[in-house]
Amino acid sequence: MMGTGRKTGKTGKSGIEERFASRFLAKQEKTSAKYLRRVEELGEMPEALAPFLDTLRRVYVDMALPDALRGKTLIGTYCVMAPQELVYAAGAVPVKLCSGNYTAFSVGDGNAPRDACPLVKAVEGFCETGLMPIYRDCALMAVPITCDCKKKIAGMLAARSRVFPLQVPAGRDDGDITQYVEELYRFAGILEDVTGSEISWETLASGMRQVGRAQYELSRFLAWKKARHGLMWGTHILAVMHAASYLPADVWASSMRRLNDELEAKGEGSGRPASRKRPRLMITGSPVIFPNIKVPLLIEELGGILAADETCMGERGMSDPAVVVDESFDGMMRALANRAVRPCSCPTFADNTERIYRIRQMVRDYDVQGVVYHVLRGCLVYDFEYQLVEEVLGEMGIPVIRLESDYNEEDVEQLKIRLEAFIELIKFRA
Amino acid sequence: MNRNRKRLSMVLVLAGITLLVLLSGRIPFWTYDERVLTTDIEQFFSPEHLVRLLPLAVIILAAAAAITGICWIRKRYREQDSMRARYEGMRSSGRAGKRQGRQKVSVFSVIRWSVMVVFSLLIIFGGIFFGFTIFGIDIPVLSCPTNRSQLMESSCYFLAHLPDLFAEYDAVSIALFFGSTILFALLLGRVLCGFLCPMGLVQDLVHLLRQKLKIEGFVMTEADYRKLVPVKWLLVLLMPGAVFAGGNFCDFCPALAVSPVISGLKVSLYFSGFMMILVLVGSFFKRRAWCNICPLGLMIGLFHRLSPFRIKKEPTACTECGACYEACPMGIKMIYTEREKTDVTDWNCIMCGECVKCCPEDHALALAFAGKKIYDASRKRVVSGYQDSEEQADFGRLSGAGAEGAGGDGAGAR
Ligand code: SF4
Ligand code: SF4
Ligand code: SF4
Ligand code: SF4
Ligand code: SF4
Repeated sequence: MMGTGRKTGKTGKSGIEERFASRFLAKQEKTSAKYLRRVEELGEMPEALAPFLDTLRRVYVDMALPDALRGKTLIGTYCVMAPQELVYAAGAVPVKLCSGNYTAFSVGDGNAPRDACPLVKAVEGFCETGLMPIYRDCALMAVPITCDCKKKIAGMLAARSRVFPLQVPAGRDDGDITQYVEELYRFAGILEDVTGSEISWETLASGMRQVGRAQYELSRFLAWKKARHGLMWGTHILAVMHAASYLPADVWASSMRRLNDELEAKGEGSGRPASRKRPRLMITGSPVIFPNIKVPLLIEELGGILAADETCMGERGMSDPAVVVDESFDGMMRALANRAVRPCSCPTFADNTERIYRIRQMVRDYDVQGVVYHVLRGCLVYDFEYQLVEEVLGEMGIPVIRLESDYNEEDVEQLKIRLEAFIELIKFRA
Repeated sequence: MNRNRKRLSMVLVLAGITLLVLLSGRIPFWTYDERVLTTDIEQFFSPEHLVRLLPLAVIILAAAAAITGICWIRKRYREQDSMRARYEGMRSSGRAGKRQGRQKVSVFSVIRWSVMVVFSLLIIFGGIFFGFTIFGIDIPVLSCPTNRSQLMESSCYFLAHLPDLFAEYDAVSIALFFGSTILFALLLGRVLCGFLCPMGLVQDLVHLLRQKLKIEGFVMTEADYRKLVPVKWLLVLLMPGAVFAGGNFCDFCPALAVSPVISGLKVSLYFSGFMMILVLVGSFFKRRAWCNICPLGLMIGLFHRLSPFRIKKEPTACTECGACYEACPMGIKMIYTEREKTDVTDWNCIMCGECVKCCPEDHALALAFAGKKIYDASRKRVVSGYQDSEEQADFGRLSGAGAEGAGGDGAGAR
């Protein structure tokens, strides 16, 4: 526990602050609205996509809480390694606070060191300004310490809100799991303190059921997607996954169920964006988070299709289920720790060769023709793994392109030129 | 220094076990003056029979007492740690009912459990009810043939009494003994352990009881399993070797307290009785605890390369989620770490299928017979408990995919 913080003072704002605030809001709304519009302009939207886009609009454009979150105790989490099941068990709702916001980034840019990663800067920016309700209203922020930037952000956030840093082990061996189970017990204790409600066998089981519902629908979607290539625009799927950050799992699951039903009812053919001729690309690397979705958007606007997504805000983040082998309370905690650490292909782990196998499998599953390796400037851990990924994909005969970008639009032209050439190359090879 | 000390303690433990096995015949648990090794159907329903079940009742009560004691001590111990003490009430409370979201029962599990129950009942009581027993052909499971009314002999008796075999039987019988034992081991491998052995059933039952009570088990790490390896090999040596050193493995073997006792025979139990208490307590907290050191199982396991039953892996489909390793009662880590080989059958593998059941990635693990997958991993099965019961949304309803595997619940839309 890193101290209880004061809420950002909202009283007695000076004129300058107010002007800053309105400029900040206007700018941020404009960017988010623009990206949402571009998402919609891709066309061929299933009807059931609407609730997901509405959620993103609500959070980023209207700067308000989605209805489903109103009146709930919110717990901010920064990574898939903070188990949502536990948060539900404590009667609260988890929201994912990893941010892709350009405007917030520009604020955070001033406070964090130049080489810090933009994700962390954007988080810093939001907390600094206190203008985003989701950040403002969190009762607790759970920050898994997965890299140096996250460690420092945990410290900075502690000045404004309650923070719980989760120590993530560097390996995935038996001892590491035991250690993470301990960590989760500690997390559970803090959650109880913050929410005032007790975590019991029953609430934990229902928390698992809540997340399980969402995972069931996601699994159903993925099975369907594997069977039918080009089911939906990759960017649309990204929007679906990002909306999950701001919705309770059961609400998300029922929207997802409608989407699945619609896609299944549609069946073969009609309304699918992906004809065979579109180059099928996969994105992997640093997190791609709304509204920083310029790379996936560019891929699809330039004639490709985002066939697979190996980033952690994408499908991978939620898809691994917690498998309970011991029905006791401790058994469930262990299942959560195990699920958080072992299948996670995050480069925070010293040995992360499993990511290579996952990429290989995804290339096969989704018939990928080229890979875009996304590196956020300053995100070292992902950049470290580029070499190996390139080597392995080279052996498989799959071209890779490493795209480094930042949270602003200055590099868009350059990204466009490189992506265009890459897509042409794949068309040419095919 | 530290290393030497570890070695020394291991040597001492092994010496202790050897001594225990050799002297087990002098540690009485329950003795009779006369031995009665057969029974028939009339006696079977006599009140006298109930009296003969007494040692079993004592064993069960002692085991229950020990389990309660262990839970109590564990609780006391944990209460010193404030953070953990908070959840102590949750840990060992007998919560009622099933956990919502538990995966649906698969056809494979139903088959395994029914085969295990039916075979155990058959081999133990079959001779009594059918009125005949099969001599000469021996099956390597730990169902004690000291019970002469068993349907079939188990190989372990002669393995533990090799001099008797050679002294009392002719060459044909000896050949038949080894032939049948080896044939079973070759054909079935440790499917014998996972599907047929009554000792396996007993251990699975107490494990099930723990799951029902929602009491947490002991988690064994790789290092713990490694410590068992010398013990296993020692017991493999002692099982046939004890008679040559003046002992008798059967006085140590826990299975002596199963088949003969529940058939109502008069068989004196020496250390076997205590051993059975240990086995019940051990396998309550750690699934199949005895199987992890069972010498007979290990002997069968030595043939594993030739058995047609295999655990197959599709290495890239695996996400190294470790669910299979967590679930494996034999602590086989390779099934989770292996990333190149497609055959991950281990000599310890008892073919229980728990790993396949828990694997959430389609086709990543499978139990195969002669190259044909009979039980395949499926995401759909793992998340099946989370299916919305009212709305019945199913996987790829229209994709028509998911050929019905032996799991009976489809192999996921593909
Ligand atoms: S990249 Fe790693 S640390 Fe970051 S959110 Fe994903 S899993 Fe967590
Ligand atoms: S006591 Fe054990 S080893 Fe001996 S015959 Fe019976 S089951 Fe086999
Ligand atoms: S290992 Fe277990 S199941 Fe196999 S023979 Fe031994 S007791 Fe029976
Ligand atoms: S590897 Fe699988 S089948 Fe073999 S013992 Fe372990 S869980 Fe059972
Ligand atoms: S359960 Fe399946 S996916 Fe997980 S480690 Fe085992 S084989 Fe791999």
